[in-house]
Order: sequence, then structure tokens, then C-alpha cells
Amino acid sequence: MKKIERKDFLMMGGGAVVGGLTGYVFSGAPFLGLQWLAEWTQDQHVPAAGKEAYLKTLCAACREKCEMSIRMIGDRAVKIESSNSGCPFSQNALQLLYHAERVDAPLKRTGKKGTVKASAFEKVTWEQALADVSKKMNSLIAAKKGNLIAGISKNDNLSAALLDRLVKSAGSGNAFYEPSLAALSQSALGGYVDYDFSNADFILSFGARLMEGWGTACTMNKALVEWKQKGAKLVQADAVCTRTASMADQWLPIKPGTELILAMGIANCLMKKGRAAGGGDWMAVVNAYTPDKVATLTGLKAKQIEDVADAFARARNPIAVAGRGGAGVSSSSAELMAVYALNAMVGSRGALLKKSQGLGEPALSADAAAILKDSKKYAGLDDFIKNGKFEMLFINDADPAYKSVYGADLAAKMENAFVVGIMPLLNDSAMYADYIFPSLSFVESESTAGAAPVKAYEKAIHAGDAIIKLAQKVDAAKDNFKWNSYVDLVKTYGGAVGTGGVNYNAKVLKDSLAALEKTLKASEEFPLALIPTELTFLGDGDGLAFPYVLKTIDDKTYSEGKLWVQINRDTADKHGVSEGERIDIESSRGEIGSVRAHLTDTVAPDAIAIPLGFGHKAYTKYAKKKGVNPKEIMANDIDPLTGAANWWLTRVKIS
Amino acid sequence: MKMKRRWGMAIDLDKCTGCGTCAIACSQENNMPIFEDDSDLPKRVQFLELMKVTNDRDAKYPNVEVCYIPKMCQQCEGNDPKNPKPPCVSVCPVVATDVGDDGVVSQVWSRCIGCRYCQSSCPYEARAFNWWKPKNEGSFQNSLNTDVSIASRGTVVKCQFCSHIWKRERDKAVAKGELDINAVTYTPACVASCPTRAMVFGDLDDPNSELSQLLNKEKNRKFRLVHTIDDKDEKTKEKMMHIKQFPNPKVYYLTSKTWIKEMMKFK
Amino acid sequence: MGKLIGYIKQYIAFVKKEWDGYSKNVKIALYIMLFFTAGFFIFAIQILFWGLGYTDMSNMYPFGQWIIGDLGLVGLGGGAFTTGFLLYIFRNDKLEPMISSTVLIGFLCYLFTFVFLVFDIGQPIRAWFIFIYPNWGPGLMPASMLTEVAWCLGFYFMILCVELIPVVLKHKILDAIPVLKYIGHYLHRLMWIFAAGGTFLSFFHQGSLGGGMWDIMYAKASWFRAHHIYFFTVIILATAGGTAFMTLCAYVAGKVMKKEVLPKETFNSIAKVSGIMFTVYLIARLADVILMATAWVPLFDRSYLSNLGGYYGLWMVVLEFIFIAGAIVLLLVPKFREEEKTFRLGIISGVMAMVTTKLHVVLNGSSVPNFPWKGFIGYNPTIQEWFIMLGGLAIMVMIYMWFAKYTPLFPHADSHGHHEGETHAAE
Repeated sequence: MKKIERKDFLMMGGGAVVGGLTGYVFSGAPFLGLQWLAEWTQDQHVPAAGKEAYLKTLCAACREKCEMSIRMIGDRAVKIESSNSGCPFSQNALQLLYHAERVDAPLKRTGKKGTVKASAFEKVTWEQALADVSKKMNSLIAAKKGNLIAGISKNDNLSAALLDRLVKSAGSGNAFYEPSLAALSQSALGGYVDYDFSNADFILSFGARLMEGWGTACTMNKALVEWKQKGAKLVQADAVCTRTASMADQWLPIKPGTELILAMGIANCLMKKGRAAGGGDWMAVVNAYTPDKVATLTGLKAKQIEDVADAFARARNPIAVAGRGGAGVSSSSAELMAVYALNAMVGSRGALLKKSQGLGEPALSADAAAILKDSKKYAGLDDFIKNGKFEMLFINDADPAYKSVYGADLAAKMENAFVVGIMPLLNDSAMYADYIFPSLSFVESESTAGAAPVKAYEKAIHAGDAIIKLAQKVDAAKDNFKWNSYVDLVKTYGGAVGTGGVNYNAKVLKDSLAALEKTLKASEEFPLALIPTELTFLGDGDGLAFPYVLKTIDDKTYSEGKLWVQINRDTADKHGVSEGERIDIESSRGEIGSVRAHLTDTVAPDAIAIPLGFGHKAYTKYAKKKGVNPKEIMANDIDPLTGAANWWLTRVKIS
Repeated sequence: MKMKRRWGMAIDLDKCTGCGTCAIACSQENNMPIFEDDSDLPKRVQFLELMKVTNDRDAKYPNVEVCYIPKMCQQCEGNDPKNPKPPCVSVCPVVATDVGDDGVVSQVWSRCIGCRYCQSSCPYEARAFNWWKPKNEGSFQNSLNTDVSIASRGTVVKCQFCSHIWKRERDKAVAKGELDINAVTYTPACVASCPTRAMVFGDLDDPNSELSQLLNKEKNRKFRLVHTIDDKDEKTKEKMMHIKQFPNPKVYYLTSKTWIKEMMKFK
Repeated sequence: MGKLIGYIKQYIAFVKKEWDGYSKNVKIALYIMLFFTAGFFIFAIQILFWGLGYTDMSNMYPFGQWIIGDLGLVGLGGGAFTTGFLLYIFRNDKLEPMISSTVLIGFLCYLFTFVFLVFDIGQPIRAWFIFIYPNWGPGLMPASMLTEVAWCLGFYFMILCVELIPVVLKHKILDAIPVLKYIGHYLHRLMWIFAAGGTFLSFFHQGSLGGGMWDIMYAKASWFRAHHIYFFTVIILATAGGTAFMTLCAYVAGKVMKKEVLPKETFNSIAKVSGIMFTVYLIARLADVILMATAWVPLFDRSYLSNLGGYYGLWMVVLEFIFIAGAIVLLLVPKFREEEKTFRLGIISGVMAMVTTKLHVVLNGSSVPNFPWKGFIGYNPTIQEWFIMLGGLAIMVMIYMWFAKYTPLFPHADSHGHHEGETHAAE
């Protein structure tokens, strides 16, 4: 055998390497390797598999009680499918249910106030949380300072009623609601207006953006379908061309903030037809607002006003709707009364004043009764924030620090008080909370329809349960809370009842009209009117924490980190503003900036439309630090009856 | 190609309030990625965009109106419905996108190399590219659908009329002993969620489907997005279609407002 | 080990010596190019690992700067196939002195087209899908223009590699090895085969990447042309602009090296070719614009002029025609062609005509709104895009400089000795 030389060896080795490489390439292995590399470098999440099932339940989010089917994969809820529902919001329920920043256990603040960072809180057990909070309550009550306990709820619902009861049991009258339509109507009219939208054939809306989150969205959407079928007429008064205005059969493009004056004008026309409501003093005020005068003030034509009044009077089932805005409502008590008076003048059967039955008056201890009697009464939330004082505050799902125009004042007061927040996500008000009780989304709530469709998230419990459990540890209140659980209460609870007539307060009307006419005059310093707009899912801020809601925002509302405001083209020309320019908006209260200007003729001349719902300081990383919160500079005159600030129309200038 | 189905859609803009439920239902069903800030609309990953349209190009205050147009993939089919040629399919260098015998323009995430040629050729801006790594952080992962795979960074994704729901429904029918699986119908997530029933989905080839009947009835109200050839008379149309393909989308919109149709034209 | 360190030390000393030998201007140029190259590598990591989110491209503007780079490089690299075709098939021997430089530029242009594509596509790791799952239509006609482009580019790049081998083998170290010398020699004799193959492939991908890719988008008013008219227009442009670019590169190399790199008649000959092709292109492009305005865009119920709005509108088309006219006049009229100043202006015009066209196709085409209620889209490339673009170009220039210095890229200059300073290419 020939000796293998070095050269041969090298050649053989080289050949083997080349052959091996060729074989490797043609085997496809490198390509498989690349594919594997592609997958490995991507590190994509694969959703956990499981058995598919559909949970049937009734949606408990509003009183429409739609059928709902939840698609489950194993124990995960992956989709909500509602049938024959008008509800937009149920689609968003899973975003809350599985929110990455949901509060999973009761939290106790260990760090400084003014932040919701995880390091500022420690997780505690329910026992400890309830013990600490009840101890604080008990000691305040024992020191005869029960009147310094206050509660703020988001909606007029059962858990809010429980909080009212708890606060009252302590001897305090300071249980308030965020100024929702129901809460405002309650204060102005003595009950909420139960509109029968589906049977109405003529709907006259004073700035109520009926299709954009106003009232109960589910009801409104169902009503819309019926109106289209029946040919009901919708007349919308608004200074911005909203979607509701465009869907309406007639849009009354009034000057910003003149809804009340328009209502007076229509009442005046009805008066000439011999209709009346509200008594002599009231009608005397109405008498002064002739169509011509109203036409000048609102920017409409007298004929337009007369025609609308005519059609309204002639309709079979007319209703006039008050409550400017969508989810965030701002109407003065005078406006609510004046619009309700229109219903009364035509004898509307579709607008009934109702009152929720409530839980009845709690039994008060002698101390509590005495303190309650002596303490100052506040007309409403903003009045309380501005003029009231508290040492302990419950915040039930509400976000007054963000939503109230007095948010900053409230924050300052909360710095020095003991604050308990009951909420599923930490919002702006939670920045000042000492304790957080994690609450539930509606898909996790037990209801009379049966057990909760989805297991409650971690240690979260229903707000109602949390309040009942707490109350049972408070000596002064425990006798008033004899329910075992929230569901126990729901089962025994009755519905709403009708209420008596409205007390039409002519003095408030006169004062409001005088103040409004003064505000309407453009001043040298503040020539423009700032009015709010809303997107349905965003509402006045609640939607911004949800990533999929962020995906619905259009580019002329918020894009690339900037909030957009809309300005009429001619007005923008006059003020030298060009499309996309960054501007600051300043009112007598302060300045917000910067926002981008979008020039569009969908806004009235001399007005700026600004979207609500942006500019959170907390409320999860998805909502935080996006845009500006116009409430910081919005008008803050407090209404005498509702105790809420009338922020709808603010005089501003831009720079 | 023998078409088994020709899925199409009609959206009644007179009933659309622009609430965005369709977009949210779509995101939920199709495992859309979650980012801290999705306000960067040009780079946003979504299948269904809610476009706000006003006529302030042609009108002054107060003769203005606004409407919202929910816009998903319009499932173009080109001139010949029997031989669908959507503008985006022929351009794909790797056959990651194709049009099936149900008329749906499909896209295989894992085949896509991310050249974005299909995006360029799409006249409806209906396709989205994953500019960043798609994330579904923390407990948000719990609501992920197992029927839709999560795309990689650097791939193009698009609306497929929730085809996976059709597959789901057909699987169920098979389990029940149904033999003609193509007879099974389904409803995409957006259509199912619409609170005002403004969206209708169905088979354009089936004259008895709700969709076909609606479109037959609504000859005056129906239109398609920026598809001005629809306004031409038959002869001109034929001549034009002889020169080139037209997108010929399978998504119809209905409106009684002339201004919306007017806004479909470039001026 | 000590030996290795010795080698490294030796090498560093060598580089240092070379560096000291450069003139001040070359040093400054190298500093700038090295700066961009550093940026190129830093941002390359960012783009490849964290995604294209760092660019200003978007779902509404999916093609950006890198695609312009690809189009431009392939278009300009088209000079390689034209020159090869004229030299090897038409036997225009006057072009012999510039062929090495041309092949090298062609090679670099195509190489960096691939480099930019790696950044541009979202999944470079899956790029091989184009060869495994190509979108071929019926017969041999590719359904997707990009499939065709990828295949043609791939094969043509291989041909360019082969064509480049003789140039590399002329490096003084390699040239000393007899085997390699013969391989180089015989490859050179066989080059006409590759030139023919290259021309065939180039013909297709020049047309499809520069033109066909855009004119088949039947739903886009800004790009669509019936009958693939733009496809053929662009092939003509590649021959015209490509040759102008090859001439420009040689001219600049001569200026930098202060040598007569090409004989005068070579410059003359190639410039004439470029001028003639630009005349043909002018006619084709005029026909294209007229057809766009009168036949194709009206099919969309839009007007050609309204598509030319935004930031990259009408002015770019006008500019393109000015450059075309400039190239034709300055390169075809003998008086201007012979005069160095106007000759220089002529070839620059030619290159600029090409660049403007490519910029216009991508920038304007993408910015045209799809919906009447949307405006023209602006595109501001981010720093990442700029650095990768400019860094890529800088690397190209440096490779070219290396070849110019260490291989006989311009045999004419070597055989005619050094004419420091006073020699002008076209005197």
C-alpha cells in the first residue's frame, strides 16, 4: 500500500469537507436550521390550548340584560359574543378582565402619595385591609368626626347605594356621585328622566350626543335601529358636527353653549301655541326669549326655531333630551329644567321622571344623627371638593381627581386624608389612595341570573361585597348591613319608582341665563369658545387604559403622541393657525399645551373642539401621559342646584 | 377556478355610529398585538381601521357632515370573479398571500418575508406590517385565541374575513355529521359585534343570502370605496376593464347621503 | 504565537505607512466614510434585532429610502451589462480599458442592493423562501415581479462574480501564481459568454425592478401603466444612465488618483453611447408621461397632475427632463463632449436623471393618497435609514478605492505611466 503523503491527506480531507458540505446543503438541513433560527429569534408566544366551550349568560352591565356568550379555551375567556345586543362595551370586557395592570390583591400604601408605582404599595390580605380601614372609621366616629367621612361613587348603582349607606351611618351627608346625567338630573329635577326612546317619533336633543356614548349605549343603539325602521325624527342641536348631528334628520348648528337659550326659544314658540309648564314665574322668563332674540343668540334663524317647535308640538310621541355630551355630561340645572319643561309643555309620554328606590334610610345612632344634623350640606361633588373638608374618603370606581375640573384641589385635600379606592385599575385618584380594594369587571360578577361566568381575577371581589364586609366591621354601621353578600342584596332589591313633579326654579333659570349670556360674549382676552368632544369608547377617560381602544382612535384625535384639537378654518385663518401646528390653549384658569390644530369646518366659527379622555397622570401605562386633560382649564362655576361645575363652555385664547 | 363561496360584506353607513366595536371585536378575535402606545396610526397593527370622513373639502360650516367608515380588507377580486386577481396576490414573491375558492384573500404569516410589496399595491391600505415585535404582555395573554397564530416581527398581516371561524363552524358541522361542509355559513367577529346591525355578511354567489338580497334591494344606496368605475355605463365599463384590472372589492357600503359618494372621487 | 503577533505588528506598520502616504483630502474623505461605516454597523444591529419600527416607513408608506437605493444601484449598475455587451458582443474595443472598473462597479452595486434588501425586508432570515417558494405563474412568466427580480439578480450577481475574478486575480500577489494567472487569462477570453448571459438577465431584472414592479400595480394610480410600458422604458434608462455612471466613476477615479485612467477615445465612445441611449429614453419617457396623463391615470378618475402634488411632485418630473436634456445635449454635441467641463456636466446630468427618476418613482408614488380625504404623505427618513444608506455607499467607495489602488483596475493608466496633475481625461 502506498504511503499516504501529506498532500494526499490534505486533498482527501478537503474532498471530504467539500462533499460533506454539499451533502449538508442539498439535504435541506441548513434551510431547516434557518427556519428554526427564524422561529427561535422571534420567540413568539403560542396561546395555551384547551377545551373549547361557550358560556351562556345574561350581560349584567346595564338594564337591557342582553344575552351573552363567552367563548372559553380551557379556563381562559377569549371572546365575548353577544347576540342581538346593542352594547358596544361588552366587547371590551376581556380587556379589563385580563388587563396586565389589574389590581390583584388589596393594596396598602407604604410609600409617598402622588404615585401608583408598585413600589409605593404593598399587597395585604383582605382581613388586614378591612381591619385597618374599619379601625380608622371607628376611631373617627368615636371622636365624633363621622361627618368627615366622605364617599364618591361613579354611578348611581347598588354598590354606590351601599357606600352612601355606610357614609350616612357614620353620620356624614357627604356621599356624592360623579356628575353623570342621572346624578345631575337627580339634583336638578328630583329624579332621573326615564326616556322611552324606542317609542318616540320625534327626538329633540340639546347637545346630547345620543349615538356616541350618551346614557346607556345599548339602549340608544337599539333605539336607533327602531328609529330607522319607523322613520322617527331626530333633531340635534350642537356646535360641533358630531356623528350624532350627522345621523340626525336635522342638525341645528347653534353657537357653542347656547342649548339653554335654544330651549327657551322653543318654549317661547310653544307658549304662543298655548302650552305652558313650570308656573307663572317660569313662563315670565320664557316670555322674554322670543324667536328673534334666541336666533341672534344661538346663531340660528328664527324660522328654524319656530319650525322645530312646530314639529315638536305636532309629533305624537315627542321627547326633548337634555344632558350635553356623551359619557361625560355637563348641563346646568337650568338647562335640565328648561328641557324637561319642554316635555311637560307638550305632555310627552316618553320622558318620565323616576327615582331609584334605594336601600331606604339607615338607622342612625344618636351621635351620628346629631353630627349629621349640624354639618354643612353641599349641593354636589364639585361644591364639596371646593368648599368641603374630609379626613377619610372612599372612592368607588370613580376618578374625580381626573374628571372633575377641581381635580387638583381634590388631590391636594386627599394628600392629607385617609383615602380608600375601590377599583379594578389604579386611576388618577388612586395616586392619593392609602388603600386599594380590587373590584371586578361585570363578567366576573355574580348576578341574579346566576353565578359569575368567569372566575374572579385573583383576590378581587365585587365592590358591593367589599363595602358590606367593611360595614360589618364598623360599629355604627353594622346593623344597617344585614346582607350576607352583594348578591343577597340584589335578590331583595326592587326597581325604580315614579316621582312627583319638578320644582321649576325660576330664579336659578334667570341667574343662569344672565350668566350664560355674559359668558357668550367674546372678550378681548379670550375670544374663542372651548367645547369638548368624545369618542365612544374613550368616553371622558375610562377607555384609555385599554390597548384595543387605543387602536380605534383616529389620527385627527390623537396621533404620534400628540392630542389634536379641531378649529374652524376661517377662525384658524384669523388667528394665524395652520394645519398641524402646535398650539397652547389658555383660559382664565391656566394653560394646557401643546396640542396640534386640525382645521376643519365641522366646528362652529370661533370655537375649538377638544377631545376629552386624555391627559391621565396614572391609570395604567396605556393611558398615562397621553395628551392633555382639558378639565384643568375648563370653566369651574358651580351650579347652585347640582353642585357640579358647568364646564361645557370655556372662553379661551390660543398661542 | 371553481368558486365554492364568494364571501362578501355590506356595511350600512346610515346605521353606523362610528363607535368602534367592530374594531375591538376584530382585535380580540385576531390576537392583535398590544403596545404601550398605539397612537402611531401609520405603524399601527390592526385589520379594521375606523376612518373618519367629512365633507369639509366641498362644504363650509354648517353644511358639513361626518361619518365613520369601518375599513377592513376589501377582498378585491379583479375583473373576473371566476378568476380572482386581487392587486396584492400576484405581487407576492413567495406566495404568502393567495385568494381561495371562497374568495377570501388569505395571508400566511409564517411564509411572509416582509417585503411589503403587497402593502404598496393595496389601494385600501388594508394591510399592516409588524414594524415592532408583536407583544401580548402579562395577563393579556389569557385572552388570546388559539385559532389565530401570532405573527412574527417583520411580516405583513391582514383581515381574512375571520376565515378561521368558517373552519371552526365547518369542523363543528362535520362533528355533527354534516357532509356538505361548504353549505356552512359563518359570521366574522366585526359583523357579529355591530351594535346597530349595520354590517351584513354572506355569499355573493348565493342569490338567497341576506347579503345578495340586500344588495339587490339597495341598488341606489350601495357603493364601493373609491371605486369610481361603478358609476360608468356598461359599455364604458367594459372598455375600461379591457385595458386593465380593477380591484372590484367584495365589501359594499350603503348610504343615502350623496356627499359620502361624492367624497369617493378625487378632485 | 510570537510569530502571529509579529505578523500583526508588521501589518499595522504596513497600514500605517500606507495611511501616511495618502493626501490630506483622501484622509478627510476616509474619515467621513469610516464614520458612516461605523454608524452603518451600529444601526444595522438595531434594525436587524429590533425591527423596522425605527424607520419612517409605515403601513401607508411601505417603501422608503432603501428601496430607492436598490433601484438606483441596480439602475446605475446597469452600465456594467451595457458596457460588457458593447465590448464583448459588439466588439467595441475602445471600451476595453474601462471594463474592469465597470465590472467592479456593477458587482458592488448589486452586492449592496442585496445588503440594503437584507435591512429592508422584515424577515431576512427567511429571504431564501423566494427561491424555495417562488411565485411563478403559468409557463415561464413569473407572477410576481419580485420573484423575477430576485432570481435574475441572484444569477446576474453570480455572473458578475465570475466576471470580477480576472480583475481580482490581477492583484500583484495573486498574479504571481502561474495557475491563477492562466485561469484569469482564459476566463477573460470566455467572457463574452458571461456578457451575453448577463445582458439577457439584466434585460429582465432592470425592467422588472425599475419598471415592471411598479407598472403592474393596477390599483395604484401613481404607478400603473398598461402593457408594461414602464418596464421597457426603464431598460433604456439603465443603459443610458448606467453608462453615464460608469464614465463618471472612471472620471472621478482619474481625478482622485491624478492619472489618465482611460484613453480619450474610450471616454468619447462611452459618452456617445450614453447620449444616444438618453435620446431614445427621452422619447420613451415622453411617451410614458403622455400616456400616463391621457390614458392610464384617467382610468382611475384622477388626473396625472393631481398625483404630482405633495413634496415630491411635479418638480421632480421637470427636473428629470432637464437632466435628460442636459445629458443629451452635452454628450451628443461633439463640441461639448470634447470640452472637459461640459463633458463632466453631461455625465453628471445623466447620472442625476437616473437618480431623480428613481427618487420620483418611490417617493411620489408612495406619497400619493389612496383616499380622497387623505393628504399626500411626507416621508422623513430616520437617522437609522440615513446611516445605513450612506454607510453602505461609503463601504462601496472604499472597496472601489482599494481595487483602484491595489489591482490594475485601469490598465491604461499603468501602461502610460504617471501624468501627475496635468492630465485630463478628455483633453
